[in-house]
Amino acid sequence: MTSRWRQLTHGLLFISPWVIGFSVFYLYPFFATLYYSFTRFTGIGNPVFTGLSNFDGLVHDATFRTALFNTCYYTVIEVPFSTVVALGLALLLNLNVRGQAIYRTLFYIPSVVPVVASSLIFVWVFQPSFGIVNSLLSDIHVNGPAWFFSITWSKPTFILLGLWGVGQPMVIYLAALQGVPREMYEVAALEGAGPWQRLRRVTIPMISPVILFNVILSLVLSIQYFTQAQVIESPPGSPGTSTMFFVTYYYQQAFTDLHLGYASAMAFLLFVLVLIVTVVLLKTSSRWVYYENDHR
Amino acid sequence: MTTARKIRASAAKHAVLIVLSAMFALPLVWMVGTSFKTAQQALTLPVVWWPHPLEWRNYPQLFASLPFVRFFLNTFAYAAITIVGVCISSSLVAYGFSRLRWPGRDAVFYVMLMTMILPFVCTLIPLFILYKHLGWIGGYLPLEVPTFFGSSVFSTFLLRQFFMTIPNSLSEAARIDGANEFYIYSRIILPLAKPAMATVILFQFIYCWNDYLGPLIYISNQNDYPLSLGLALILGDYTTNWAWVMAGATAATAPIVILFFLTQRTFIQGIAVTGTKG
Repeated sequence: MTSRWRQLTHGLLFISPWVIGFSVFYLYPFFATLYYSFTRFTGIGNPVFTGLSNFDGLVHDATFRTALFNTCYYTVIEVPFSTVVALGLALLLNLNVRGQAIYRTLFYIPSVVPVVASSLIFVWVFQPSFGIVNSLLSDIHVNGPAWFFSITWSKPTFILLGLWGVGQPMVIYLAALQGVPREMYEVAALEGAGPWQRLRRVTIPMISPVILFNVILSLVLSIQYFTQAQVIESPPGSPGTSTMFFVTYYYQQAFTDLHLGYASAMAFLLFVLVLIVTVVLLKTSSRWVYYENDHR
Repeated sequence: MTTARKIRASAAKHAVLIVLSAMFALPLVWMVGTSFKTAQQALTLPVVWWPHPLEWRNYPQLFASLPFVRFFLNTFAYAAITIVGVCISSSLVAYGFSRLRWPGRDAVFYVMLMTMILPFVCTLIPLFILYKHLGWIGGYLPLEVPTFFGSSVFSTFLLRQFFMTIPNSLSEAARIDGANEFYIYSRIILPLAKPAMATVILFQFIYCWNDYLGPLIYISNQNDYPLSLGLALILGDYTTNWAWVMAGATAATAPIVILFFLTQRTFIQGIAVTGTKG
């Protein structure tokens, strides 16, 4: 046995749990989903091949278009906002403020609150008549909207709920900021760079790989937004269809209506969407992401 | 900068931070305050922030009307089993991806990382059908078994990062002494990786505590509900009694917040490592 061969068998032996898991829990079901997306299937009996009819149906499905729109709406606003807020808080905490640990803890705590609990809390905080937000608004003579129960405001309220959990990326950005060598700021200051220039020319480039990683992760999660909407809105998707997100509609098609072929077609489109977004981000990242040593 | 300007700048920073902290803390204060109100007090205008006297009975009443103790126990069982699965499989896989050199290793590692961005719906229906054939629907097996097969990419990644920081000379010395790889893994590397394992255990526990989607899909019997599903139940059942809803939310949140304070260092480092070394 050559040593190269031995190395390979050893390596594969150690990763074999994952290889099995990958084949059974990812590879097989992924291709099965792809196959189902070309069939009519209710889970009982065999799938019936119907060609592209599911995709054709989706193109003409108004609810699907709404779900796609709602998901894009949420993603396009939530991801930039939460990135800017997380980065802003991290920069603020990085200014050597006294009591940094206390503030960091206060900003971080909401992101350890279980997702169902935080959903319940927000329903109550934004409750139209007795919630604290509308009560505070009425103190300054503003008539607060119905938030989660208003067609116009439901999605923005979910975005606010998302922003409350910004502590996770904030901690990551803070760690990255603390890793930027102090000398770089000193050199920049010596060369006459003001605070704004130091931020744009030193800080942001230095932590840009971390920003990229977190933006991709939060994009992928936002596109699959589901849990909070499912907990809060009853019936799911209400009021109107304003909180019918992509996965909300998928869940309804798959587990309520048992349109498994149709739902699989949706799942496949979601995969394509995530893939496009990730590839575009990675491809354009070379313009704004800076890697210190180029051998990544 | 003059001292006066320094003080002013510092005051401004703190003013901004205090206002922001208040905004982040408000929902939690409002939650705990409401959980001590009577049902009527919760629906009183102008609002009461902190009731007087405190109504403690919401908690025992809630626990008496819903099998909350069961929900907690179910969650603990779910967490315990998956923690075992993750610790075994992720450490083995992480070892294979870090302490051993073999052709194609990094390419396979990237494939593993890519599964993180695969939407869960892309595998859900075939898996559901598979579990149905196996008779697993209704129980926790669909959520537990995959963790024994390296399904927690996050944990594997975190352990790999840690394993790579252990000097290679340790393994080399053991190999010269004739130790096999499994011995090196279990007797040398794992004992050194205790801090990283602690992080993995902590995050897996929180993952289970939080997990709503998995149980929503697979658990059907109310007695088998984990905390997350049980909690969502109160909103449906007692929409009008906000004091109960908030008592439930507080009961679900408090243990995790306490855990956070007890393990703050592990916590923050764990997040920072996985988030910045990507």
